[in-house]
Amino acid sequence: MRTKLILALVLLAAALSAAALLLRDGGTQAPVARITWDGVLVEEIPLDGIQEPRSFTLEDASGSNRVEVEAGRIRIAQADCPDQICVKQGWISDGTVPIVCLPHKLMIEIVGGGGDLDGAAG
Amino acid sequence: MGRRVKGTARITRLALLTAIALNIFLAEAQIPAVTAVPGIKLGLANIVTVYVMFVLGPGDALLVLSARVFLGAVFSGQMMTLLYSAAGGFLSWCALCLLGRLLSRGQIWLASPVAAIFHNLGQLLAAAAVLRSWAVMAYLPYLVLAAVIAGLFTGVAAQALLKRLDKLRP
Repeated sequence: MRTKLILALVLLAAALSAAALLLRDGGTQAPVARITWDGVLVEEIPLDGIQEPRSFTLEDASGSNRVEVEAGRIRIAQADCPDQICVKQGWISDGTVPIVCLPHKLMIEIVGGGGDLDGAAG
Repeated sequence: MGRRVKGTARITRLALLTAIALNIFLAEAQIPAVTAVPGIKLGLANIVTVYVMFVLGPGDALLVLSARVFLGAVFSGQMMTLLYSAAGGFLSWCALCLLGRLLSRGQIWLASPVAAIFHNLGQLLAAAAVLRSWAVMAYLPYLVLAAVIAGLFTGVAAQALLKRLDKLRP
């Protein structure tokens, strides 16, 4: 009985996760990349308005990250941390998952004006 | 079972188990990441944690786990992962303690996926605390799915290990 309950909970967790992944609405109307550093908002970049690619470097005592922006997408192109997780993640163009550089406490998430659409569709 | 073993014999056994777990951990670290989502891995070293929890008890499991987590961070050269591994490890240890009371020895395979889910949850909570943002929780569905699959795999492995090792005892 206990076994079945625990098994059911595990499967429920898996099913809910799968549902969350399938149903989530990553697409946004006007994506805006929001860069936060140590919990503080550093920069907000509207990704739709970008004509030509640009890059800039964020640097502090803990290290540096080079951020690249193109029309509709953003990535961390270079980082001086050992694990390179943020670089390997590559481009993001929707709000599905943020890019995170834990060693430098840097995070890039995409938020957008898709909010009211979600409400209507939900 | 091995519960009554004391002194040098106990230390030797725990050291041996830690060494095994550490080797598995480091060998697994050489496998390239399968997905772009950070934090997804098999977690083969947890076979040892689950085994110790059910055979030697929660105290010994915590000893082996913390020694492995610390030495794993040292040997893999990524000290900053220590915080996340420790948070995940501790939370999954708590879950395993509870499951150790609820489950019998034949149901160990089920303990592992639950522990894996809590491990990933602990890591994300630590990351959320470091970044001071809940946005990292967007990773949770990926990590829970991966934890269930990988956890069932390591759980079945731990169950098989227990069965074989039981045969070795007089």
